[in-house]
Amino acid sequence: MTTGLTDAMETGGIDRRTLLKTVGGSALAVALAGCTELLEGEDDPLADADVPDEPVESGLQTFTEGAPSVLGVQARYGAETAVRRINENDGIAGRQMNLDVVEESDAYLTNYQQFVDDGKDVTFGPISSSGHAEMVPEIEAQEVINVSTDGTVTTLYEEDFPDVTYSFRFQNHDVMEALAAVEQAVEVLGADSIDTYAGINPNYAFGQDEMELFSAGIEQLTGAEEVYSGFPDLGTGDMSTHITEVNSEAPDVVFSSCWGGDATLLLEQGHANDMFDAIDVLVGPVLYGSANDLSEDLVRGPIYSGSRNFYWGEPSTDRWSPAADLVDEVQSEYGVVPTAHFMSGYGAVTAWATAAEKAVRLLGRWPEQEELAMVLENHGFFTPAGYHTIGADHQGYSNAHFGELTWSDEHDAAALANVNVFAAKNVSPPPGEISADWIGSW
Amino acid sequence: MSRFLVDRDGETRVRLSEGMELTKTQSVLAVVGLVVLFAVPDITRLTGLSFQAIHRGILFGLAAVGLNLLLRHTELVSFGHAAFFGVGAYGAAVLASHFEVSSGLLLLLGGVLAATTIAVLIGYFVSGYLDIYFALLTLAFNQVLYAFVLQSGYFNYSDGLSVRPDGLNPPTLFGLQWTSTGYDLILYYFTVVVLVGSLLVMWKLVNSPFGRALDAIGQDRTRARFVGIPVEKYVWIAFVISGIYGGLAGGLFALLQLHVSPDPTLYAFVSGEILFMAILGGFGTLVGPVVGGVVLVYLLIQAPFYVEYYNAVTGLVLIGVVLFLPEGILGSVPKIGTGLARRRRDPGLLRDDIAAIGSSIRRGVTRAVTTVRIIVFGVN
Repeated sequence: MTTGLTDAMETGGIDRRTLLKTVGGSALAVALAGCTELLEGEDDPLADADVPDEPVESGLQTFTEGAPSVLGVQARYGAETAVRRINENDGIAGRQMNLDVVEESDAYLTNYQQFVDDGKDVTFGPISSSGHAEMVPEIEAQEVINVSTDGTVTTLYEEDFPDVTYSFRFQNHDVMEALAAVEQAVEVLGADSIDTYAGINPNYAFGQDEMELFSAGIEQLTGAEEVYSGFPDLGTGDMSTHITEVNSEAPDVVFSSCWGGDATLLLEQGHANDMFDAIDVLVGPVLYGSANDLSEDLVRGPIYSGSRNFYWGEPSTDRWSPAADLVDEVQSEYGVVPTAHFMSGYGAVTAWATAAEKAVRLLGRWPEQEELAMVLENHGFFTPAGYHTIGADHQGYSNAHFGELTWSDEHDAAALANVNVFAAKNVSPPPGEISADWIGSW
Repeated sequence: MSRFLVDRDGETRVRLSEGMELTKTQSVLAVVGLVVLFAVPDITRLTGLSFQAIHRGILFGLAAVGLNLLLRHTELVSFGHAAFFGVGAYGAAVLASHFEVSSGLLLLLGGVLAATTIAVLIGYFVSGYLDIYFALLTLAFNQVLYAFVLQSGYFNYSDGLSVRPDGLNPPTLFGLQWTSTGYDLILYYFTVVVLVGSLLVMWKLVNSPFGRALDAIGQDRTRARFVGIPVEKYVWIAFVISGIYGGLAGGLFALLQLHVSPDPTLYAFVSGEILFMAILGGFGTLVGPVVGGVVLVYLLIQAPFYVEYYNAVTGLVLIGVVLFLPEGILGSVPKIGTGLARRRRDPGLLRDDIAAIGSSIRRGVTRAVTTVRIIVFGVN
C-alpha cells in the first residue's frame, strides 16, 4: 500500500481525519473497514438523498456442504459479517440489507436466475471458477450486478470476457497467488538454488491455470526446469502416485494449488511418504484455506502457503486493530479463524455496499444497476484486510500474502509465520494486459 | 357426426387423425393444457413463478416421455437415460464451442444425431437383457460416458463447454440473433411445439402395431417371441427412439442453459431423476412424465432457497408418491375424480374418511406410546 494511510500506520497508527479522508468520508466505508469507533458523533451526509425505504435484497451462492464447504462456509461467514456490520451502522445510505444464502452446488446459472426472479438488487458468489465462467454471459444478459467472491481463473476477464458491465470479481485472480508463490520460493531458496520444480494441482480450470502461471513465472525468474506435473482429480482419495513421482524427481520446489480436502490429503500423504525430506520447499497458494482442518503434525516441514488477499495476522494485529477485532468477532460468532475465503465474502459485499453508497452520494438518489456498475469500476475501499480496488477490468486487486505454515497455540489452529506481503502491482499485470505476456516481459 | 367427431361405444369422440381419438374430457384437458403451456411466460410474469425452472422441467419431462416408452411398454427400467440427455446437450455444445456453429437448429440437430448414434450403440448391447441386468447395464454405459467426458480435455473436463458460438451471445434461432428475453421466449415456444409434436408422435407410436408389440414384449418376452415378434430388434428400436427423445431434450437444454457441464446432464443421479419424473407424473400415462418433470425440477430448483435439508426433498416426494399416489400425479387424477364425485353424491362418505383418518392417527399414537414405554420401562 502506498497511501497516506500506510504512512500514518508506519508512524504508529491511523488518525481519524486521515482515515475518513481516505475512504471518502463515508461512515459505512469506515465501519466496513472495521474502524467504527472513529465514527462517534459523525453527521449523516446522506440524510437528504432520495433513497427507498425498503431494505436492499441480496443473494449469495456458495458451497455450504460437502468438501468445498471448507471454503464456502468461510465466504458465507464473511458475507454475513459484512451485512451485520452494515445493518449495525445504519445500512447503505440508510437502507438495511438482507442476505439470502443458497448452496452453490452445480446450479450456478439457475441460482443466479432465481435470485434475479426474486428481485435481488445484487448477487454474490460463486466459489467455483467454472461456475463463474458459466455465469458471466448470463449476468450480462440479466443486467443485475454480481460480485463474485472467488472463481479466480485469470483468463476470465483477461481473455474470455474482456468487455463486461455487470460482472465483477472481488478476490485476487490466480496470477497474483501463483506469482506470489514464485516470489516466496525465490525468497526462501534464492533464484540460483532453484533448478527444478514440480506441480501437483487439481484437475480442472483453476488447477491448470495456477500451474501454467507458476511455471511461466518460475522459469522466467530462475530458469528452472519442470520435472513433473500431475493433476489428480478434484476431491481425489489418493495422491500417492503423484507424491511418489515427486519423490523420485526430488525437485527443489513443489507447487500445489490443492485446496480443501485435497490440501489436507496432500500434506497427510506427503508426510507419510517423506515428501518433505525429498524436496526443498512446497509452496501452495491456498493450503491455508484449510486452516481450520489442519492438525499440528501436518504443518511441520518446509511448507509455505498463500492466503490470498487476507491473512488475519497481517498487518500485525497490534498495529492494525480492525484485523484483531475481526478475528475476535469471528471466533466468538462462528468458532473459527477467518481465512482468505472469509474475506472473499466480506470483501465482495463491502465492494458493492461502499460503491452503492458512493453512487448515492454522487447522484443524490439510489443508483440504477448500470450506474452502480460504473462506480464499481476503479472503486477503492478498505476492509480489515487493508485496501482493495476493483480495476477497470472488473478484477479485484489487493496485496497477496504468503508465509510459512506453522501452528498457533493461542488460536489452536494453523497459522502463518514470517508473512510476506506482495503488492498487487508486483504480482499481477496492469488491467488490460495479458498475464502471460506480462510475465514474459519480466 | 362430422369429420372430426366420431361415435364410439355410445360416446362422442374428437377425431384428430386416423386412430387418434379423444373423449370430451380428454379434449378439454388437452386444450386447457395447450393454453396453459403457451401462457406460461405470462403466468410466470403475473405470479412470480420461475419461467426458467418450468422451461427446464418441460425439457427433463420430454426426456422422461422417451424413457417411459421403455418403462411403460417394454417394462424395462433404464437407469442410464442421462446418457442420451447428456450426449444431446454435449453434441450441441461441441458444435458451438469447437466448430462455431451459430444456428440453434443445427446445434439441436447435431445433439440429436449424437444421441441417436449413442443410443444405437448402447441399445445393441442392452436390448437382449432383462430386469436388473438391463438396469445395471444402462447405468454402466451412463457412467462410462460421464467418466469419459469428465476426463477429456476436448469436453473441457468438469468445467464443461459453452453453447455461445461467439463466446458471449446465444446461437441464432430461425436465422435471427435475438435479445436475451426474446431468445428465451422464442426458445420456449419452440420447445412447446417440439413437445406437442413429440407427444403426438409417441401417441401414434404406442397405439400402432409396433406399440402393441412392445406391450406384448413387456408382458411376456417368451410368448412375444413365440408369436413371431423379433423381440431384441423391437427393444433395440424402442431404445433408440427413447434415446432420441433424450437427445432432443438434451439439445434443447443446451440451447436453454447455454453451457453444458457433466454433473447436471450426464451424472447417474440425473438418470435417477428422469426415471423418477416418469413415476411421479404417472408412467401409465402419455403426458404424466412431462408433469413429473416440471414438478420435480421446480422442486429441486426451489428447495435450496427454502429448506436447509433440500437434498431430502427428492426422497420425501418419492416416499409420498409410492405411499399415497402410486399411479403418479396424472395417473391418480381419475381415481381422485371418481372419489370426489362419489363424495358429492354421498356426503356421508366424508364422515367415514374422517373416522378412518382418526383411527389411523389413534393407532399410530398408541404404537408410539407402546414403543416409548418399552424403551423406557422394558417389555414388562
